[in-house]
Amino acid sequence: MSGLSLLVQMGLAALLALSVSLPLRCGQLSLATPGFYAIGGYVAALLSTRWQALGGAAATYPLPSLLLEMGVAALVAGAVALLVGRPVLQLRGIYLAIATIALVEMLRVLNLNLEWSGGAVGIFAIPQPFAGPGGYLAFTVLLLAAWCWICARLDRMRLGRAMAAIREDELAARCMGIATTEVKLTAFVLSAVIAALAGVVAAHFLNTWNARQGSFDASITTLAFVVFGGSRTWLGPVVGGLVLTALPELLRPVGDLRLIVFGLVILIGPALFPQGLITPERLDWLGRAWKSQGR
Amino acid sequence: MGSRLVSLPALAAALLGVVSVLAACGSDGSQQPLNLSGGVPVGAVLALTSNANAYGQDQQIGLDLAQRWFNGPGLGGQAGGIGGKPVRLRIEDGGGDEQGASQAFNLLIDAGVVALIGPTLSQQAFAADPIAQRRGVPVVAPSNTAVGIPQIGSFISRVSASSAVIAPLSIAKALELNPGISRAAVFYAQDDAYSTSETTIFQKALTTKGLKPVTVQRTQLNDQDFQNQITAALRLHPDLIVISAQAVDGGNLIRQLRELGYKGAIVVGNGMNTPNIYPICQASCDGILIAQAYSPELATPINQTFLKLYKQAKGGAIPPQLTAQAFTAFQVVAEALERLNRRQPLGALKLAEARTALMAELLGGRYDTPLGEISFTPDGEVVQKNFYVAQVRMQPDGRSGRFALLNGSPP
Repeated sequence: MSGLSLLVQMGLAALLALSVSLPLRCGQLSLATPGFYAIGGYVAALLSTRWQALGGAAATYPLPSLLLEMGVAALVAGAVALLVGRPVLQLRGIYLAIATIALVEMLRVLNLNLEWSGGAVGIFAIPQPFAGPGGYLAFTVLLLAAWCWICARLDRMRLGRAMAAIREDELAARCMGIATTEVKLTAFVLSAVIAALAGVVAAHFLNTWNARQGSFDASITTLAFVVFGGSRTWLGPVVGGLVLTALPELLRPVGDLRLIVFGLVILIGPALFPQGLITPERLDWLGRAWKSQGR
Repeated sequence: MGSRLVSLPALAAALLGVVSVLAACGSDGSQQPLNLSGGVPVGAVLALTSNANAYGQDQQIGLDLAQRWFNGPGLGGQAGGIGGKPVRLRIEDGGGDEQGASQAFNLLIDAGVVALIGPTLSQQAFAADPIAQRRGVPVVAPSNTAVGIPQIGSFISRVSASSAVIAPLSIAKALELNPGISRAAVFYAQDDAYSTSETTIFQKALTTKGLKPVTVQRTQLNDQDFQNQITAALRLHPDLIVISAQAVDGGNLIRQLRELGYKGAIVVGNGMNTPNIYPICQASCDGILIAQAYSPELATPINQTFLKLYKQAKGGAIPPQLTAQAFTAFQVVAEALERLNRRQPLGALKLAEARTALMAELLGGRYDTPLGEISFTPDGEVVQKNFYVAQVRMQPDGRSGRFALLNGSPP
């Protein structure tokens, strides 16, 4: 079962990586993902522990309540993203990154000091919708598959192409009639929604939720997923999230050195593959190799 | 762009297929007989990496010593293990976060351990303990002091007394040493579960003594520079400062307090109850007051044995509380296993039965430990008789020091 629960953590990390990669598709380096992840987690933790009616009579927490939490979390995170996104997305590059870090920090300090969020101890004894990690895994996989599909669809859609155009050259994109602000805002809101949904699942899975879940460290970790995996395809961030989450656990037999080895992998990965492990070119090459093999 | 389109149903079906195969492999084996080849399996999850490793190191020594003591023949009257089988302790690193501790708990439970010791931090316990509770594995926490830990479930217990019991003692001692104290200032790490939990107890104790804090300053675990909070507090001329923080940030805070000219009394909480603070605050550590759940001066045979083992291992040093508590946690598990084995041989039990029976046995027993005689309440809270207050005395070179117990039993 430790394998299953590791897979759940990997799936959640992959979702967070997708969330970071969406604004990057239109060239926006946003580190706000852990902020929205924390919002999702708090919505789930508060609704499931404070609102008794959601719990129902059964021993496990009802699935419809979980879906309701996800709906509420998506709405709240989306609304915050809309509100914050318009002014923040005026900024570019490193300035946008700093502004989004500030957002994450503000949410964290707010959560630490508000009465209803439980302070640093946070909220614990969050009810379980599934009997074991298997249920969580199936749920996370479905969620991840749905978002992978949406991100893959984006490549063929007007929105996705507009995002790519903005990434290549924002000025040229605007000259071609792309409403750049709206497109960037859409990507930011989508990114917030993914992170919030992951947060809902994570809060139940972890049994407890506190302000440490959405911190600056988490911003950097999620960014590392994307840098390691590659940001130009949807598959890159997913692979980055899966691999970098699994690695510290798989390295347990190494003993005390495991975090050093892990650090080396993070260092060597981008040094050898500056575009990330997975690039469109490499995917094409793999696809061709696969086809010629088939014949 | 060359990335191909994947159809959602195909993707989901493929992934779900993988999941169900994995789920089929992942049956947890708790209905199998307890595997005693190589010894009685017990697991421990300690913070050996991250900021909390200052605690994990102390605990690891305690567990190692306890294992050597319990499995070795003749030491302290033990006949070597349980019915001839040694206790096989497997220690996993839980890091300093919730995910790490949960993963390590799952890993050890899958490996078939009959009981778990850990995790190091209260915050980790809130995430990992429910997993052990659901899977029916006894947990003995050696260092969780936050309020509400044993109440997580029937399989959760601790040998570390709650900060609600210990924290007020050091305040009383400070007032006893210096009855003139009239203005108290409070510092705490606002992003830490243990610190925020303990500071409410400190503040309540101060108010009961008629010393409503003149200021409450908030710090963060990763802070290095506390000048803002310190100047704000010193402006109000406190003559007692009460700190709830962890080892690294608390050590730096004390050092800066002294550097900025504060001369009054300092009381700190359990988070700084480790000799690993000496290199951080050095000479500034001198004189701080800490309540203790362990006294090296306790003149019982088991404590003398523990002292001897520790001094052998660490070149004559005095063991800290965390080490004594870790030793105690192992001892509690091992002695409960031994009693259980005498009534029902462990080899004949299924793993799940052994875990349930062990928990009942564990809570029902009395233990003569380095902490003194302890027992448990029905919900797993430790019942301990003796607590102490220590004052840190640093050597003139500021490199090493000791926790010197203050005479006179605390009220």
